[in-house]
Amino acid sequence: MKPTGLWVALLLCAGRLGAQGVVIAPHAVFIDARTRSGAVLLYNPNAEPAEVAISFFYGYPATDSAGRIVVRTVERPDSTSSSAAGWIQAFPRRLTVPPLERQTIRLLATPPAGLVDGEYWARLVISAKGGQLPVTGVADTAKVKVGLTLEVRTIIGVFYRKGAVHTGVTVSGLRTAVVGDSLAVWARLTQQGNAAYIGSVHAALVDSTGRTLGEMKAPIGVYYTMEPRYALSIGALAPGRYRLRFDLSTGREDLAPELVLPSPPVRDSVEVRVP
Amino acid sequence: MKSLRLAFVLMAAVVVPLVGQRPITVTGVQSLAFGTLLPGVPTIVVRTDAVKSGQFSINGPHDAQAQVTFTLPAVLTGPGGATLPLTFGGSDAGYSQSQNIGSQVGFDPKQSFVITFSQQGRGSVFLGGTARPAPTQRAGAYTAIITLNVATFP
Repeated sequence: MKPTGLWVALLLCAGRLGAQGVVIAPHAVFIDARTRSGAVLLYNPNAEPAEVAISFFYGYPATDSAGRIVVRTVERPDSTSSSAAGWIQAFPRRLTVPPLERQTIRLLATPPAGLVDGEYWARLVISAKGGQLPVTGVADTAKVKVGLTLEVRTIIGVFYRKGAVHTGVTVSGLRTAVVGDSLAVWARLTQQGNAAYIGSVHAALVDSTGRTLGEMKAPIGVYYTMEPRYALSIGALAPGRYRLRFDLSTGREDLAPELVLPSPPVRDSVEVRVP
Repeated sequence: MKSLRLAFVLMAAVVVPLVGQRPITVTGVQSLAFGTLLPGVPTIVVRTDAVKSGQFSINGPHDAQAQVTFTLPAVLTGPGGATLPLTFGGSDAGYSQSQNIGSQVGFDPKQSFVITFSQQGRGSVFLGGTARPAPTQRAGAYTAIITLNVATFP
């Protein structure tokens, strides 16, 4: 998307906005070692100024014990980690975005000398707070009145790429279970190469004729190893044998193709028996 | 000289083309509203209350996922440092892909929750809660901040 198109998208989003918060673009920042810089655009579509604070931390998508995807935060990453949080800076770190105006946050990377080729990650936190909400009836000091202020924090990924970067993923432990009218699917995904695997996962349940009975598609980012759980709506299945097809590819609709590292599709399948 | 180089790099960053990228917006639409409280009487706001529930609108890449977490206050702070307890139950938060308050999936606001944007790239988060003023609660205005954290998953 060209800058003009980006601003059209920003304004389209802005037209639907209400009270507090800013429009942020992009939703992921990719920094090349040759330029060592990036930019995030903020737009305040509201009638009140927005106070914005910028910070970084090291974290990456992982899965919890239930297979839910969560952002795992590492407060003190060691020197062997892929953290870029300690050496990417934002300018400015605090700002006020006036109503209906835009501001640019500039990111500058100063990696340590001798950094090995690969991809390094950080999470950029954009905290936005609108004007203080009035606590109505304050003048009536005989009453107990409550006012809650809303604050929003948007956390986006920052990727710093140095030298030759390549990625891939392996699938193991594919298994399923029928849970009510859904098919639960688990798989162990392990990142390969020196960059995160950014792509999409597609799962489909087919019968012996190849007819699809249920399917799902979701974006996926594999940074180390994760075991996500997915659910396919399948309705009431007749007893018999079926097959679950599980595919991973690097196609992503929300990211420009040139930002996504290519990797051959990975496929696996497993038999599903319904008693 | 070093600062001049830094300024040059930062200026250059502004004109780097932003290609193929979508915006994300998290907006606090409406604050959780308890209104006037009576000392000793808990006041409950349910997440399906169109007037009083806290409401957030989220726009992002269509069909993409994000992690939602709340940073919730345990108390509100009032006159002279007086506090007023605020509690949140296990289903006091809800997510609606259609942004319809009547069509929510409930979740625990004290736990993280993964949302999936609609095909139009939208979604809404709703929040209820309970304010528990003590029988001897000091009169006056009480305030606190509710923070919604939304982490995208590229």
